[in-house]
Amino acid sequence: MKSLKVNGVERQFAPDEMPGTLSALLSVLGVGPATVVAEVDGRIVRREEFDRTQISDGQQIELIKLMGGG
Amino acid sequence: MEKLIIAGRAFDSRLLVGTGKFASPKVMARALSASGCEIVTVALRRVDIDNPTDDTLREIDRDRFLLLPNTSGARSAEEAVRLSRLARAATGINWVKLEVTPDPYYLLPCPIETLKAAEVLVKEGFVVLPYINADPILAKRLQDVGTATVMPLGSPIGSNQGLKTRAALEIIVEQSNVPVVVDAGLGLPSHAAEAMEIGADAVLVNTAIAAASDPVEMALAFKLAVEAGRRAYEAGPRDPLRKAEASSPLTGFLRDE
Repeated sequence: MKSLKVNGVERQFAPDEMPGTLSALLSVLGVGPATVVAEVDGRIVRREEFDRTQISDGQQIELIKLMGGG
Repeated sequence: MEKLIIAGRAFDSRLLVGTGKFASPKVMARALSASGCEIVTVALRRVDIDNPTDDTLREIDRDRFLLLPNTSGARSAEEAVRLSRLARAATGINWVKLEVTPDPYYLLPCPIETLKAAEVLVKEGFVVLPYINADPILAKRLQDVGTATVMPLGSPIGSNQGLKTRAALEIIVEQSNVPVVVDAGLGLPSHAAEAMEIGADAVLVNTAIAAASDPVEMALAFKLAVEAGRRAYEAGPRDPLRKAEASSPLTGFLRDE
């Protein structure tokens, strides 16, 4: 099994189901990329770069979005 | 009314509105519209993976409103800088309302971490609007670092207590070379008007509008109060007197002296 830590939660993937890019991960999780920015192992990735951002076993990924606030 | 200028950008409205706590995105959109505001604050949080399509900000017209991301939730300069960079990546906007609030009970801002974060962010090209306690010395220090405004609190966030810090706010207004935006604790339109009457350049309101029974009507009430307070300030109110001063001459009465 391969794993990714997404927003603090460990997620397991069978080797042939492991998403190869951030876009693929978002699609597996059902997250709409329009409002989201990501951090992969602490490096900020803009949404325009999700398609070409490769992800790999063991990485820590944060998916952040804007929400209401004062 | 004079325009509000922040970092070289001109605004007609002197009311900034926060987007938290609204019952629905539609009510929020109508309240923002009624408020006449041009700047709206937003927060950054982790996507809820169990409810990943939730987008409470979908009704905000980004051509009409300047989004001002905040760093709420940051407890240190380091966290605030990280959130600011994420906000810039998410929005393409380099404006940030800097908040560092280590104490979850009163949500009071840490002056030391706020100043540290401001130094870093200004160097990185951010337009920084720091949320601070009403501390005139800190306000000057931040201004010297290059922040675009200072945002002293009236009272704790969401408390609706009004201008508990009035005396210190007056000193900040007197000394500041950057716009003073009174943020936090304004619970009634009269609080906002009072802040504007003492010379604040703008106010930020969230809870008082969002948590009202009718947020759209309350947004309009705040709009009118901010405008009234600002117009009164620009009109130059006369200082209070200790004794009465008659409005008509004290002569010509219908009696013989």
